[in-house]
Amino acid sequence: MIRHLLPPLVLRPLAKDRLRFALTISGIAVGVATMAAIRLANASVLSSFSDTVDFVAGKASITILADGPGVPEETLERLAWLRGLGATLAPAITETAATGASEGEIVEVLGIDPLADASAREYSFAEEGKREDNKKTFLEGEERIERAATSAHSGGVAARPEETHTFEESPGLFSVFAKQSLLVTEAFASRHRLKAGDAFRLVTNSVERTFRVAAVLLPSGAARAASGSIVFMDLAAAQEAFGKVGRLDRIDVVLPASLSDADRARVLEEVSASLPPGVTAGRPERRTETVDRLVRAFRVNLSALGAIALLVGMYFVYNTLSISVLRRRADIGVVRALGASRRAVFAAFLGEGLALGIAGSALGLLLGAGLAAGALTVVGRTATELYVPSAHPTLRLDPGVLAFAFALGVATSVLSALAPALEAAGVEPAATMRHGSVEAARRRRTRPLAFAGAALLVLAWAATRPEPVRGLPLFGFLSVFLIVAGASLLAPAAVTFAAGRLDGIALRLFGVEARIARANLTGSLSRTSVAVAALTMGLSMMVAVAVMVGSFRTTVATWVGETLAGDVFVGPASGRSGPSLGRVPEEAIEAIRAVAGVADVDPFLAFSATRDGAPYTVGSGLFAYVATYGNLPLVDGRDPRRVFAGALANGEAMVSEPYAEKFRVKTGDTVELPGPDGPVRVRVAGVYTDYSNDRGTVTLDRAHFRRIWPLSGATTMSVVLAPGVSPEEGARRIEAAVRGRFALRVRTNATLRKLVLQIFDRTFSVTYALEAVAIAVAVLGVFNTLTALVLERRREIGLLRVLGASAARVRRAVRYEAAAIGGLGIALGLASGAAMALVLVHVINRQSFGWTIAMHWPWAFLAGALALVFATTLLAAARPAGLAAATDAAAALKEE
Amino acid sequence: MGARVAADSVSKSYLPGPGAAPVEALADVSLEIEPGTFTALLGPSGCGKSTLLNLLGGLDRPTRGRVLVGGRDLATLAEDDRDTYRRRTAATIFQFFNLLPTMNTLENVALPLLLDGAAPFAADARAAALLAEVGLAGKERAYPYELSGGQMQRVAVARALANRPALLLADEPTGNLDSKTGTQVLDLISDLVAHKGITVVMATHSAGAAARASRVFNLLDGRLVP
Repeated sequence: MIRHLLPPLVLRPLAKDRLRFALTISGIAVGVATMAAIRLANASVLSSFSDTVDFVAGKASITILADGPGVPEETLERLAWLRGLGATLAPAITETAATGASEGEIVEVLGIDPLADASAREYSFAEEGKREDNKKTFLEGEERIERAATSAHSGGVAARPEETHTFEESPGLFSVFAKQSLLVTEAFASRHRLKAGDAFRLVTNSVERTFRVAAVLLPSGAARAASGSIVFMDLAAAQEAFGKVGRLDRIDVVLPASLSDADRARVLEEVSASLPPGVTAGRPERRTETVDRLVRAFRVNLSALGAIALLVGMYFVYNTLSISVLRRRADIGVVRALGASRRAVFAAFLGEGLALGIAGSALGLLLGAGLAAGALTVVGRTATELYVPSAHPTLRLDPGVLAFAFALGVATSVLSALAPALEAAGVEPAATMRHGSVEAARRRRTRPLAFAGAALLVLAWAATRPEPVRGLPLFGFLSVFLIVAGASLLAPAAVTFAAGRLDGIALRLFGVEARIARANLTGSLSRTSVAVAALTMGLSMMVAVAVMVGSFRTTVATWVGETLAGDVFVGPASGRSGPSLGRVPEEAIEAIRAVAGVADVDPFLAFSATRDGAPYTVGSGLFAYVATYGNLPLVDGRDPRRVFAGALANGEAMVSEPYAEKFRVKTGDTVELPGPDGPVRVRVAGVYTDYSNDRGTVTLDRAHFRRIWPLSGATTMSVVLAPGVSPEEGARRIEAAVRGRFALRVRTNATLRKLVLQIFDRTFSVTYALEAVAIAVAVLGVFNTLTALVLERRREIGLLRVLGASAARVRRAVRYEAAAIGGLGIALGLASGAAMALVLVHVINRQSFGWTIAMHWPWAFLAGALALVFATTLLAAARPAGLAAATDAAAALKEE
Repeated sequence: MGARVAADSVSKSYLPGPGAAPVEALADVSLEIEPGTFTALLGPSGCGKSTLLNLLGGLDRPTRGRVLVGGRDLATLAEDDRDTYRRRTAATIFQFFNLLPTMNTLENVALPLLLDGAAPFAADARAAALLAEVGLAGKERAYPYELSGGQMQRVAVARALANRPALLLADEPTGNLDSKTGTQVLDLISDLVAHKGITVVMATHSAGAAARASRVFNLLDGRLVP
């Protein structure tokens, strides 16, 4: 039966009203495209990282990592028993270096023990090289093994005969034994125009060193890690280059294939039991999980924003089908009179929703795949700048992500079609209800809808109360959704209320056209209120994000002003990369201290650790420095000078606000840190504000820190200059003092402040892009609605012309209607956006990142943006207004 | 005071579609209507009655000939003047009432006044008075869908009278009403002629309705027939 209903009820009207249906499909497409692009970008970033983890892990079934500054090399000795089982232990250093001090790219460095690595990871060489040369380096390697075997610290690196591979098996791999030699990937070699034997410079730990390309690797196995931006060097050389002598970053354990799953689990347990404190064993992919947790909040927030575009698209479908049902009411009545069942009519309209959903979603996927490259640039840069410096994301059109976006688009379309389809199914046979009475029936729902909307707003408030779920502000998102839904349900009441209250004033101010517009607004409430709701939805997100970002930016700017007490900041040179990589050596710190005009130096030294699987930073600085300059504001408002002086005297720690939030720690609590000889417990003296990262930091005084961990140097350092020395002059003197010895990045206070805000703005640029999409879709919705209404009201417009209204006045009436829709959307959007901003700032942001943000309303931006939206809405009315003005009165009145 | 109406050899052709031969809806129609009289155009559906009314109402222009109302050739009026003509001189009522469903009765009646620049309060006062005049006092806030057919036609008459037109064009005003209500509406129209001196031209296919007019023109296939 549906087959017979589709042509008269769906297909022919669809063909007749192509523009509106094209717009509807575009609306869905834009929503699906946005969603797909964001998810593809996120998935690409994450899978790039997880691929790197997989390629680096190679054949390993267990990876041993340090929950602290490194795995002590002695761990290899503790695990010597594994060799008895036929297992291979492949120790490695995983680091990042820059191919130039200021403009170079970031490259992963894997320090390997070639003797063990051939069993753990796969390497294939682009060129065999000269056999004799390799033989030579191999023999050199043998000699070094002998030397290493006699050394107490590196005894574990010495391989047992069963894991030693002969030169015949993997000749190229041993070339890394040659002094300052590297294996580079084919991609890297072609990017830098390198071939075997060429020399090139690499900045490792603030020192620019020259290396020689020993061989070029084909893109397989470990060489595929970091999208080929990876180089391999000898383990001992890497330890030296990165200041990690005596420590390893990981040990990969390859178990014999013959071991059963049960045996493997037992081995893992035994390995865990024989590890020193702070070192853990697990499956290799847990590194991906850690990174996933690191970027999860960022990812989820972005996806949530992307969903808004889809929600606006959903309104499109609802609106189009709702109008279709109304316009085809008489036809539905006729087919019902001819015996069509309610179910068949319902199915026909639901089918229309499904068809629109499929067409829109398919188009959306094509568009989304195109947009994903742009989204990846932004998302990838943020992930690289803020979270994983060595991530080299490349776009992957993950079929799973595409299928999800498609399914979501179709599902939301069908869901949006549900209400109109039900209404169609409710039409009585041969219905002859007048347009006005249908609308009147819908108008009667205004009050119940408004009550439902108010109830949702109350629920939205209630949803701000619960704690985060597994570190994610799920109830916060629910609250935002409830605000959006609540505001949408209030739209009909708002339209009716405003129309009732403003009719008299508008009539006096703008003439009878305003009354015509008002009558149309309330007369077609079901359609106009949906347009208002769609606009409200798009705008509320824009307002909320603008307020949130504005507040955040102002808070960060103030915080940067307060905390950047130094005149000059020094860190390791890291090429083009945003964050500094590696460390400034102790000698460089001393050299800077000795520079004329340098009054004080505060070196910050840190390493990464995990707590309950979530990464955080253990850092150190000079507490005496903060006790003097008071540059780290405390969350509870106490004087940082006094608190830091007390912490210094009592050997206590300070924790950053994100750490306190994430792990529910407060002043007076004790935190446990991964000391080399077992957990170290430290009392927390206070919580300081920190917007530099959302991982959370536990900070100790430098001397206290170095008593626990044998680390030296600084990750970054703040330099205070003597009075009379300008920051620029100070920076010049520091650069001159270290030139030729260390590759450092020296920035003045003003430059760093500017950079911080630049990174901030870049990070949030994608959110603005998303909001622009949501608003564009909403404005298209206004265009769609007005066009439909004008076509539907041809007869009424014709009548206006008969009554003597000029074409210009008819045009003006449509424009006023658009202005009213725009104005109401803006007013509701502003109100609900403000409510959402409060949730974003005080709930979502706080629960996601642990930051307290002071509210700041960017009025000028909001006024400008809203004026632009208003103007665009008026512009969207141009065509429908033109259509209305061109109505042939006599012909329109002849139509029945 | 009613307007004198004249059609001088008026013809009107339409092109039903691209490439199709033109259809002549009116052919060489000439007539004269005295001011303050009730005239009926009688004929079956498709005879050209509505086309002639559209020409008299300034909604359409003849292909040939002239339409004169109050001595003015409507074809010579600029677009603005035609709008003014429709607001002030010629008012129309229809078979299907054509009230704006989105406005209540008071607003429907006040609309032509407001379109003509009346102050809102004055427009509302006159609209209320007109509604009372057609027997609909108390129905000012009702929407068209809440009224019966007869009531809707009376609102349409009130609206037509709002700007004190000299010519009232009625297109099958009783076509959608039962006979009793139809008679009431015709009484109302006759009263307008008798008491206000308005010229009424009514298109109808009902000989009974046409009998209420002082003069009847018979139309068939676009031509006046005896």
